[in-house]
Amino acid sequence: MRRYQIVLGATAAGLAGVLSYHTVSAGNGVTVQATGSASSSTGSASTSAGAGSSSTTASTPTTAGSSSSAQAAPSTTTTAPSVRRAQGSEEQYRYGLLELQVTVSGGRITNVQPMVDEATDPRSAQINSEAVPMLSQQVLQAQSANIDGVSGASYTSAAFEASLQSALNKLGR
Amino acid sequence: MGTVFSLAVVGGDDMAIERACRFLHHVDDVFSTWIEDSWISRIRRGEAELEDAPDIVSEVHGLCLEALRTSRGRFDPWRLPGGFDPTGLVKGWAAERAARQLQEAGATAAMVNGAGDIACFGRPDLAREWRIGLEDPFDPSRIAMVVEGWPAVATSGTYQRGLHLIDPTSGRPAFGVRAATVVGPALWLADALATAAAASEVTAGIEMVKAVEGYELLVVDEDGRRTFTPGFVAAAA
Repeated sequence: MRRYQIVLGATAAGLAGVLSYHTVSAGNGVTVQATGSASSSTGSASTSAGAGSSSTTASTPTTAGSSSSAQAAPSTTTTAPSVRRAQGSEEQYRYGLLELQVTVSGGRITNVQPMVDEATDPRSAQINSEAVPMLSQQVLQAQSANIDGVSGASYTSAAFEASLQSALNKLGR
Repeated sequence: MGTVFSLAVVGGDDMAIERACRFLHHVDDVFSTWIEDSWISRIRRGEAELEDAPDIVSEVHGLCLEALRTSRGRFDPWRLPGGFDPTGLVKGWAAERAARQLQEAGATAAMVNGAGDIACFGRPDLAREWRIGLEDPFDPSRIAMVVEGWPAVATSGTYQRGLHLIDPTSGRPAFGVRAATVVGPALWLADALATAAAASEVTAGIEMVKAVEGYELLVVDEDGRRTFTPGFVAAAA
């Protein structure tokens, strides 16, 4: 199963983005990672498809213009990839990476934290600060319910929904 | 604004996803009331007619008429500030259309979530149905219950976005209901009924949905009481 996020009307200028999800895991640690790229909403949309995951080595697919790398850490409970973001011109605005570090211990998710670079992108920082507190509780709750999606009226941030879906993807196995 | 559609897809290819993506952007361009020059904004200002607009506007307009009738007037997109505003139906309609496109493009199963309004077809795997968690409207970080196997799940409520729902009988903001979830076969109608139920008193919403075959309602009031139509099947999370 593959998961995608499509953000409509993300900014006043009508930019929109397509996010795809890739997960990287090593040992007991799980990192959920999203890459985003935005294009004008007048028709073109960039997509990067598919989910890649590997249980033994960290591998990260890249989209043109931004790249990230992840490496497995020796810790038994978390991984700590390093990421890079690129911020381009207004036509080619990329609002960067929303990355979460999900800690798994004894087969259960025990914590969810943002993995945020110093925010060169204030929009991402804002998204992260909104999304992550909501996300961590949802992840912990969703874990027992093993659900595919959430219906509700609280979807205010692209990254929140995106993060949640990717975490659910991981939980849903 | 930032409406998020998320897709979970089994089968199909990248082209299928790209088509669905283009379609959803097109829907936003046409129907967003936040975009000054969208067709819907121009129609609302009287600067354009329905017949000038793309076919999808007429399609949505027709569904709004049907929803007005089916909801016995409780879903009334004409009785909103600024004029005709189909927003309460468009999200569900668009998610469902996108799901159908994925199916036509070869996906064997998909779940399309348009900011909380969800259309599903097929099975995520052989052993089970799509499972949708319903947000607790008093604590959106929590999932209150789980529904399974419904093609359409739509939730409407004021708790996050403020008092934006209008009671059609009074023209003023609605109170009483914290959240309404409608499940059934078609998301455009589930979306409209959920919107209407969230802007109505509890019993009025329940009576409204009871009269619509195949659709079920869960209403949560401001005191946290839950009321269900008889066929609403859910499990506690």
